[in-house]
Amino acid sequence: MFMYHEYTYHDTMYERNGEEIFVIDSHVHLWDASKENVKHEGGEQFIQCFYDYHTGFTPEDRQWSMDEYRQYDPDRMAEDLFGNAAVDMGIFQPTYLNEFYHEGFNTVDDNARLADRYPERFVLNGRFDPREGEAGKRELRRQKEEHDIQGVKLYTAEWLGDSKGWRLDSEEAFEFLELCAELGVENIHPHKGPTIRPLNRDAFDVADVDDAASSFPELNFVVEHVGLPRLDDFCWIAAQEPNVYGGLAVAAPLAVHRPRKFGEIMGELLFWLGEDRLLFGSDYALWNPDWLIETVMDAELTDEQRDEYGVELTTDVWRKIMGENAAELYDIDIEAKKRAFASDDVAERFGLRDHYAGADAAAD
Amino acid sequence: MSTHTDRLGTSERAVRRRLDRVTDPELDESIVALDYVDEIAVEGRQVRVAFTLPTAWCSPAFAWMMATDAREAVEALPGVDRARIRLREHLHEMEINEGVNEGLAFAEAFPDADGGVAEVRATLDAKARLARQYDAVEALLEAGLDPRQIATLEFTDLWIDDPAVAFVRERSVGVSVAADPVESYLEKARETGLVADDHPELFRTPEGDPIPVDRFELIQHRCRLATVNMGGQGSVCDALNEARRAENRPPLSPEEHIP
Repeated sequence: MFMYHEYTYHDTMYERNGEEIFVIDSHVHLWDASKENVKHEGGEQFIQCFYDYHTGFTPEDRQWSMDEYRQYDPDRMAEDLFGNAAVDMGIFQPTYLNEFYHEGFNTVDDNARLADRYPERFVLNGRFDPREGEAGKRELRRQKEEHDIQGVKLYTAEWLGDSKGWRLDSEEAFEFLELCAELGVENIHPHKGPTIRPLNRDAFDVADVDDAASSFPELNFVVEHVGLPRLDDFCWIAAQEPNVYGGLAVAAPLAVHRPRKFGEIMGELLFWLGEDRLLFGSDYALWNPDWLIETVMDAELTDEQRDEYGVELTTDVWRKIMGENAAELYDIDIEAKKRAFASDDVAERFGLRDHYAGADAAAD
Repeated sequence: MSTHTDRLGTSERAVRRRLDRVTDPELDESIVALDYVDEIAVEGRQVRVAFTLPTAWCSPAFAWMMATDAREAVEALPGVDRARIRLREHLHEMEINEGVNEGLAFAEAFPDADGGVAEVRATLDAKARLARQYDAVEALLEAGLDPRQIATLEFTDLWIDDPAVAFVRERSVGVSVAADPVESYLEKARETGLVADDHPELFRTPEGDPIPVDRFELIQHRCRLATVNMGGQGSVCDALNEARRAENRPPLSPEEHIP
């Protein structure tokens, strides 16, 4: 198991200076980019591009082969998430890409295959596309009824017919956001991140979040990938809109080979948004959470960065980013979860009873 | 009048120095320093330049800007009649190489694109200006100027030499300051139209207005953010570049594999 200087991982939870950290991985997928499922060249390019991100930021001995990467089953995913107690819970974020894949890349129904097996361990988010009109609204209602979704992942760069993307501040998108508010789907996760081939870079422009967030104060907007390569635009918007959050997927793996850059980015995020509005996400299977969480929590700011930003990556900060902030958005009672997890199916299957042994004491 | 060098053309070194002024617009860093330039060939008054970007799907607009800037920079050399630019291993290398070398507009080379490159360039230039402003202001703080002095400093208060001199207190006192960050800022301030506009002030808010002294710190923080963003994106590009060039990495798709 992993041993880092400040952290001890053995049979209990992640600990930092003797304190437990409950991990909710706020960004995970169960995808299928098998050759049989690819229907358009864009689908092949998309998974190849993902694989570049995977190998570019994964320690060599933890890299997957391309074949493994195309498609993995719910068993492997459960093993990767819980087998070594990497995370305590996961939030599924679907990505449809129906123009690229026959059955979609990573749909809410795909994700339900694992989430339904361990419902207490997962939050299952849905998705909408405002270009789908009334049919799209019916589908959103179906997702709410069938899967009780509490959030949606939005992919503004998705292709549909001749369209190469849509905007979150469009009239059509606002109709869907209204429907979300009405259905109690409160957490909106727009992907605003690095260009992924063959999608249009400008369709990930973060500017449209501003208007949507100020028009829907009752919803929370978790900007996935903190807007990279537009971190500056994202931070400036978030500094003014209290219901805008940052999802750390893709930013986190910079800690692997570029810890100094990672420190700077964390410094900026803590400076502009503060410690209550950042959520860790591994982006699994882009990256495996076990080594990533260890690496991220092991990262330290340089003295210069501490002075510059006036912030610290303390245990309290990490506890919030790794789990408490997501728990707040998704009404998760962490202490109750710990008690339940000590004897649930996941604990049985992966021998995690001792991992939650401290739960009763912590509840007192 | 034609000089000796003119007749003979130019040298690889001179071309490289010119190319050093061409930046990756997203990172505001020289394409030479970023190691994008693969080949420079000088034959009399003709020059050929080949370059490769970190990923095959780098924004076509960015690739276009670098290719046209490279062509213009090299053709501005007195000993050069013609520069041919070749972008390698890019999804749109055909359109870009043809368009740039034949002097087409971006919209002619990419009829499907939503707009020209001018708007994209302006957005990125504005960010680059902020990042350079951060360094120049830090240098002035380092030199001992206070926020009020920096916020009210005018273009005409600067004397560019090595080191540069900033005149303060009604121009009665000159303070030496590192020349590089100040010159580099001036270059982008000029490109973004700040030197010729209605305001005499040297430094500006992201919107281009003079900086109110009570917002000095906030503006400097926003400039720092622009710097960090560019550096962060540079790291992502780097990692993708390494991944793409790793051994045993299959080509992304057959048509992209250019010998």
